[in-house]
Amino acid sequence: MNTALFSSAMIFNFLIPIFLLLVILVFYFYYSLKKREKETTKEREESTRRLYELTILKELGERVGYSLNVEEILQIITGSLKQFIDYTAVGYIVINPEKIKINTHIEKSVSRSFLSEMKDRMIASLSALTDKSFDSSAIDEVVSGAIVVDEIKQNIGSLFNIPLVIGGAVAGVLTVAHIDVGLYKEEDMTILYKITGRASEAVSRLEEVVEMEKGKLNAMVLSMEDGVLMVDTEYRVVVANPAIKKIIKFNLLADGKDVNFFDFVNALGGKFDIHGKLEEVIKKKNPYYSERINIDDSFFEIGVCSVSHSMLKGGDQILGAVVVFHDITKDIELERVREEFTSMIVHELRSPLDGIKKIIELMISGSILANSDKFKEYLNMAHQSSASMLELINDILDFSKLQAGKFEVNKEKVDIKEIVENKISFYKISADAKNLSLQSFFSNNSPQFSEFDPQAVKQILNNFISNAIKFTSRGGSVLLSVFTYKPGEPLPTDLARDKFIVFPETADIKINVPALCVAVSDTGIGISKTNLENLFHTYKQVRLNSSDDQNKGTGLGLVIAKGIVEAHGGKIGVVSKEGIGSSFFFTIPL
Amino acid sequence: MKKILVIDDDQFFSKTLEAALPAGKYSLLSAEDGEVGLQKLISEKPDLVILDLMMPKLDGTAFLKKLQESKDLPKVPVLVSSNLSSVKKISDVMAMGAVGYVIKSDESLQSIVQDIERVLGENLEKK
Repeated sequence: MNTALFSSAMIFNFLIPIFLLLVILVFYFYYSLKKREKETTKEREESTRRLYELTILKELGERVGYSLNVEEILQIITGSLKQFIDYTAVGYIVINPEKIKINTHIEKSVSRSFLSEMKDRMIASLSALTDKSFDSSAIDEVVSGAIVVDEIKQNIGSLFNIPLVIGGAVAGVLTVAHIDVGLYKEEDMTILYKITGRASEAVSRLEEVVEMEKGKLNAMVLSMEDGVLMVDTEYRVVVANPAIKKIIKFNLLADGKDVNFFDFVNALGGKFDIHGKLEEVIKKKNPYYSERINIDDSFFEIGVCSVSHSMLKGGDQILGAVVVFHDITKDIELERVREEFTSMIVHELRSPLDGIKKIIELMISGSILANSDKFKEYLNMAHQSSASMLELINDILDFSKLQAGKFEVNKEKVDIKEIVENKISFYKISADAKNLSLQSFFSNNSPQFSEFDPQAVKQILNNFISNAIKFTSRGGSVLLSVFTYKPGEPLPTDLARDKFIVFPETADIKINVPALCVAVSDTGIGISKTNLENLFHTYKQVRLNSSDDQNKGTGLGLVIAKGIVEAHGGKIGVVSKEGIGSSFFFTIPL
Repeated sequence: MKKILVIDDDQFFSKTLEAALPAGKYSLLSAEDGEVGLQKLISEKPDLVILDLMMPKLDGTAFLKKLQESKDLPKVPVLVSSNLSSVKKISDVMAMGAVGYVIKSDESLQSIVQDIERVLGENLEKK
């Protein structure tokens, strides 16, 4: 019995802890299972949310594309919200450039008062976020979904707002409402807030990229010399670069407002029908180019072209039009100068040819007896006329060769001294006729032989010397100086320049290698500063008025001389003082 | 003898014209630019001026303007002879009181002489 008692007591003593252990184990398993279950639910929720986030972002990416339309973003979020959250109505409020817009979607029928309360709370939320007050009567409203039933007496039980922030500014508010009270937990709001945040982030980043690209385009448009104006289909100015503001003389400081379309209409009134042309271009989609149009002192060619955006779905959407003012003032000036040049050349050719014709006419008529002194005089006149014509034609040929870059330089080893002296003796007769002293001077440092095209250099000397003789009054002096110019060193001291006040200085000789320098200086009438600037310019040669009659020229000689010198790699120049004298010089690298 | 003043920087023109004019009927004076022309206009009081347009110093247009504006200068008929042939130039010059315009290279010496005789004849009738 004792053993039985003992054994039953023992069993009891053993069983209790085992039982307790079992209970503990069961509880432990139960709890850990519960915990696992909770975790799985949480994980499932988390992955659902993630999936939702991804879906929304993907949809945003696909549907929004590059339009950056805030309303479209909100539409996508509200449209897909159903799979994630339970609501009676969902809506958004957005700030459009002109008006506030509210779009509400009713999931389950509600009363009018429900809607109006929701609307008020949306406006209030937007007001609070943007710190602006909005007039609830001036709002575009769109309601869709289930019908409004006023008999339903349930009002808003739960509601929350999520702001949509793009590029740091509140662009709109998303609102979710339900008739049940206390339905939305902090969690739901946080998640939706996060999603909206993600969407905002993605769009803001996209906007940044677009802004950056826009910035590049703007910088290009800003720096353009042509005036550029872009308007949208409502004729609002989208882009107006500084050049175009300058053309219409628009001054920002005048009234603090930026340029608008009417500024253009007013400024161009009568000269260019900008409104009419834009209308036509936007309608017909064909670009338009104007004839030259004169605005103040400038001439423009105006192009008008519609701007369209090709949509992903296909087809084009007209965004507006661009007007480009291309300044052609310089072209017209060049055209005018060219015409003047041509008519001058024609005149210069016509005069001697007409002279020859008239002389022949006289001879045919028999009013001059053959072999008489008069006859010889007229023959001589005809000879001179034909010679001057030939000279001009040669000049024109050289000039066109130089212009076409076809002027050939045949360099050989030449003694400059020989060439200069040859020219001095050639011009001695005409210098003597005017009682001019014509001399040459060779510095000790002048090279004996140098390489250049002797014929071409003779041509330059002909031009320089004949001009010097032409423009120097009786009793004056002309001097040809030859020396070696070394950059950074003073001019040789032995130059006989005392008689010639006007003589090039080291700063005037703009060459940076050692060079042979030839200067033709005179004590003539000199050249005015304004004429000096255009002296070597193509088409801009001055017609120098001389103190003597018969001295006229096309000025082509100097342009040709410049071409020859430059073909040798040298520089041509002139220093002059009105009434005192001039010194023309050229350098040829040694 | 009628006095004709040719103001032209092209000396050959006055020489050829002189040879073409009937001998003994006219005396021809020449000036190489507008300034000399004005001096000779005052000192010589010619019956007709033949004026070139493109000249050094005072050109033909400026000469006509001076003649038109001045009260002291003798009123002498001016026949413009030039190689410039633009319609605008011709009408400008005619508006400034020239009695005629001769495009030198388009006309023979003989027809220029006829023009001169016509102008001088008309003037004679008026007197």
